[in-house]
Amino acid sequence: MESPNRALEALERRLGARWEAIGRARIKTEEILASLRAALEGLDDPDCAVVVTGSLGRGEANDGSDADWILLVDGPSDPSHARLAREIAPRIRSVVAKDVGPTGTFGEIVASHDLVHYIAGSRDTNKNLTRRMLLLAESRALTNPMIRERVIRNVLARYVLHDRPVSNKQGRYDPIPHFLLNDVVRYWRTVASDYASKMWERTQQGWGIRNIKLRFSRKLLFVWGLLASFSGSLFDEGLLAQATREEEFLLLLLDLIREQTEVAPLELLARVASADGVKEDTAREIFDAYDVFLAALADPDRREHLESIPFDHAMDDEAYEPLRKGSSRFRFGINALFFEQHPKLPELIHKFGVF
Amino acid sequence: MRPLGFSTGALAKGDFQRGLALQRGVDRVRAVELSALRDRELGPLVAAARSLDLAGFEYVSVHAPSKLGSLGEREVFEQLEALPPQWPIIAHPEILLTPALWRTLGPRLCLENMDNRKTRGRTLVEMRELFEEYPEARFCLDVGHARQIDPTMAVALRMLIEFGGRLCQLHVSEVGPRGEHQHVAATTRWAFERVAPRVPWECPLIIESVVTAEAIDEEIRAVMLAFPTGPERGAA
Repeated sequence: MESPNRALEALERRLGARWEAIGRARIKTEEILASLRAALEGLDDPDCAVVVTGSLGRGEANDGSDADWILLVDGPSDPSHARLAREIAPRIRSVVAKDVGPTGTFGEIVASHDLVHYIAGSRDTNKNLTRRMLLLAESRALTNPMIRERVIRNVLARYVLHDRPVSNKQGRYDPIPHFLLNDVVRYWRTVASDYASKMWERTQQGWGIRNIKLRFSRKLLFVWGLLASFSGSLFDEGLLAQATREEEFLLLLLDLIREQTEVAPLELLARVASADGVKEDTAREIFDAYDVFLAALADPDRREHLESIPFDHAMDDEAYEPLRKGSSRFRFGINALFFEQHPKLPELIHKFGVF
Repeated sequence: MRPLGFSTGALAKGDFQRGLALQRGVDRVRAVELSALRDRELGPLVAAARSLDLAGFEYVSVHAPSKLGSLGEREVFEQLEALPPQWPIIAHPEILLTPALWRTLGPRLCLENMDNRKTRGRTLVEMRELFEEYPEARFCLDVGHARQIDPTMAVALRMLIEFGGRLCQLHVSEVGPRGEHQHVAATTRWAFERVAPRVPWECPLIIESVVTAEAIDEEIRAVMLAFPTGPERGAA
């Protein structure tokens, strides 16, 4: 996810907007990533990559962010990988003090085998689904970026290359990767369901920050997933037409979707929000709201408040309520973009989004 | 029938004469790549070049040293330049320190895509940058390197689409995680099959799998399953 925010910055200039929190988060992210890479120097292995997801993966980090990292192994199993993971943890903590979450999804060794082979079906777990989707939507490599890219390609091969559509007619290939699209939708619904589950398990502890993240950053991941799934219709600049047979078409489609895994979700959103037909107010509504969200997370007091706010006091809370209202504007903007204004998205979302 | 043969270095490391002898007369072998991967091999190869018995080989190329060690860049260049001009010079991007020098080779220079241990020439973007730097250079697609970077072979396909007009030869082998060239196994063969239809019929295949003399025929059969060389194309 190394691409600069060209579309986002161009949109900001065109609208005369100032999304300062987004810009600050981008700079802070790069600073933290550089420090993490320096801290991990010498802890390399040709079969492993240290990969971060979460706000660092999206380019939205601040001083209070944690580092959701995994040691991604793509190669022969080696007991030394455990030692590698043990040595990585304190080095990451030396840069980002906040611990990874309590779910066990991060801070561990993750074998590419599970990510590639256990997609849907009885062996896919909530944790595996989460890791897989975050790897696609919001990941950055701290070491060995080729490993991250290779695993992403193999995951996408499962979704795209090995799920050939049955409806292809001679010379007309389907640019919609239905397996990927269905898993993206499944992930979003899983995240939303998990929110309710954690409310129950943790007796509402920390619910406020989770609720606000669900309304913004988690929703943004869903947006990224939908846009990436529609890559063949949205982002193709003539590549797919060069396919001479179905397998080539699917390989090129895979590669096109893979290119989006290098694009931060906000940047991808900005690309479609910059399309002809999308009203300026819509784009402004989306990114103004998101900017307010990132500003709130970057403020230690407001963040701490959101983490401890009692559920029953939420509607009157000075920190929570404005963000909830902002999330409505974010949602209205996204809805207008997807269902009404973009030149291609309304047809795509009506045709493939639900039924 | 598509010319096919081995890199001499794959059959006999550091001994191009033996690497040549081992495949001379082998059924189906019509191509050879004379390897000077270690720069100390280059001098003897240049000295012997014009007297080598290359009867039966329709296609001959030479692999430039992969690193500069005992020889400097200019010495390597001058020795390569002295070789018969019809032999393409296969080069790793990392030894090309002075682009203006190597550009003078024009289409004799043939750039190879690299594995994950290198820092240049691994991806489509990196190869694109190289061909901008060497506009006349031709292309050696190392399908093993490409698969190591991208097991799906989408990168190899895009390289063939974009640089197909420059294609000079293929390097074929299975490349392990540490860059080792091995026997082409079934899963690798299936990956290669995805791009095989894009490889022109006349494009030579240079096998880089490190195999024993006894395994030469078996390796040729494995490679031909992925890249049929003649009338059996499509029937494999």
